[in-house]
Amino acid sequence: MSRTAPAGPRGAALGTAGLVAFAALWEAVTRTGLVDGRFLPPFSRTVAALGRELGDGTFWSALGDTLTGWALGLAIATAAGIAAGFVIALVPYLRRATASTIEFLRPIPSVALIPLVVLVYGTEIASVLVLVVYASFWQVLVQVLYGAQDVDPVAEETARAYGLGPWARLRHVLWPTALPYLMTGVRLAAAVALILAITAELVIGAPGLGNLIAVAQDSQAVPEMYALILVTGLLGVVVNVGARAVERRALAWHQSVRGEVPV
Amino acid sequence: MRRQSIVCTVTAVLAVVLAGCSSGTGSSGTGPAASGSSTGTGAAALVDVKVGVIPIVDVAPIYLGVKQGFFADQGLKLSLTTAQGGAAIVPGVVSGQFQFGFSNVLSLMLAEQNGVPIKAISNGVASTGVAGKDFGALVVKKGSAITSAKDLVGKKVAINTLKNINEVAVRDSVQKAGGDPSKVSFVELGFDAMPAALAKGQIDAALVVEPALATVKAQGATVIASPYVDVAPELTVAMYFTSTSYAQQHADVVKEFRTALAQSLAYADGHPDDVRAVLGSYTKIPADTLKQITLPSWPADVNRASLQTLGQLAVGYGLLTKAPDLDTLLP
Repeated sequence: MSRTAPAGPRGAALGTAGLVAFAALWEAVTRTGLVDGRFLPPFSRTVAALGRELGDGTFWSALGDTLTGWALGLAIATAAGIAAGFVIALVPYLRRATASTIEFLRPIPSVALIPLVVLVYGTEIASVLVLVVYASFWQVLVQVLYGAQDVDPVAEETARAYGLGPWARLRHVLWPTALPYLMTGVRLAAAVALILAITAELVIGAPGLGNLIAVAQDSQAVPEMYALILVTGLLGVVVNVGARAVERRALAWHQSVRGEVPV
Repeated sequence: MRRQSIVCTVTAVLAVVLAGCSSGTGSSGTGPAASGSSTGTGAAALVDVKVGVIPIVDVAPIYLGVKQGFFADQGLKLSLTTAQGGAAIVPGVVSGQFQFGFSNVLSLMLAEQNGVPIKAISNGVASTGVAGKDFGALVVKKGSAITSAKDLVGKKVAINTLKNINEVAVRDSVQKAGGDPSKVSFVELGFDAMPAALAKGQIDAALVVEPALATVKAQGATVIASPYVDVAPELTVAMYFTSTSYAQQHADVVKEFRTALAQSLAYADGHPDDVRAVLGSYTKIPADTLKQITLPSWPADVNRASLQTLGQLAVGYGLLTKAPDLDTLLP
């Protein structure tokens, strides 16, 4: 088990070592004057500023706002991506009809929609949600479509031969085939959703960590700004670790997680 | 602000398109404005008013006014929402999300010229009118060979938003110093990024406002001109505004807001220590920077003559197609 688990104690130790090395490099380039310490404060000063932020109520409410936008947006995008993905995958006519439209809409950067979104939804959380959902929906949808195409024809024919109806085939053939793809899609979407939530707050000014970063920028509060950026990075790590844990749990039966049985 | 000069144009166009539908919902009384009618039943009920502001030094008076109770005295309950620049505030006001907003005067002139239905109702912030002691300044790096705005010909000057008030102001400073304003090359850069860009020599000069101005001064930068002072004496730099439909339908609220705002502006002008204290509440300006910053001036009235001059300059530099219609725009 420990041989195949990707994130055992050794993996965690290596991950921590990577972070420590990054912090040391940051401290070094600013202390040696390679980068001007006035504009990029040393890691230690940034952490001190982070400590001050942690004692501030506005920080915690901003963190709550960001996480709310992220979680709601990701949930909506995942639900919509799964629903749309399976409907499109099951109807060959729909798949041909939507293929080019999806490829047209997918690369449009969410942030390009900001003027429209601000006009319709103002600077509240609804704007953040629209941008988050738009960006992360495609990640899920496209993975579900790929997954649905990967169904083993033999398995499909066998299911038909045993007289399984459309629902049973969806449940026992299509769903298990598409699930690993879907999990990858959700993991990608989780990261994209976080990026978009913070970007939306930063650019639009909706309440959240992004807005705090913008205020710190406007206030010439450089250590505080990097402290908040550090928080967004840590959030990303947490989100990724969480998504991987969910993935391992949901796919415990799958080869990619289970690993090859040692002979 | 800087991030959205293109966004701003697009929004202006969209704002016109959507203005029709949103004013429809506004008049049917779904927005917070509808609570204005509730004052009939309970005399003590306050009218909820949402104001879109930018988290910068300029809007300190409105925060002070709330703290001092000037708005409550007028029967208004303000909720201040910070947004990143006029590009988010103008559509917010037009669509009725905010009843009032804060924006620089040239953005408002541009909006008015594009047919966006807005109406300025009060002064927002003004230049101190004292050269070398204004809240915005044209600065060069310590030890730079540039000593006057005239020397900026052929040089790279950073401003926060291209094709806006700061471009007009810098060009005017260059012209008044005897240089050719068309030969200055502008780059767009956020105020927060200017100190580093200046120190590294990526730009030759920058129009910086507080609190970034305090940072560059602490770095030893030299002030070579005060562009807002050069444009016109005591130039009105930004104003509070509302949508034309709101101004027509809720003239009483607008009047109350204006009265409270006039008190707030006067109070801010007379109590600089209170201004610095309130700045600590909605910005993250470090305490030692807070002591250094030059505060702007907050007169109660819009300086119409200064805006006329600014409008003419903007036409001259091709930012506006015709002189702004100040009768329509101003209160």
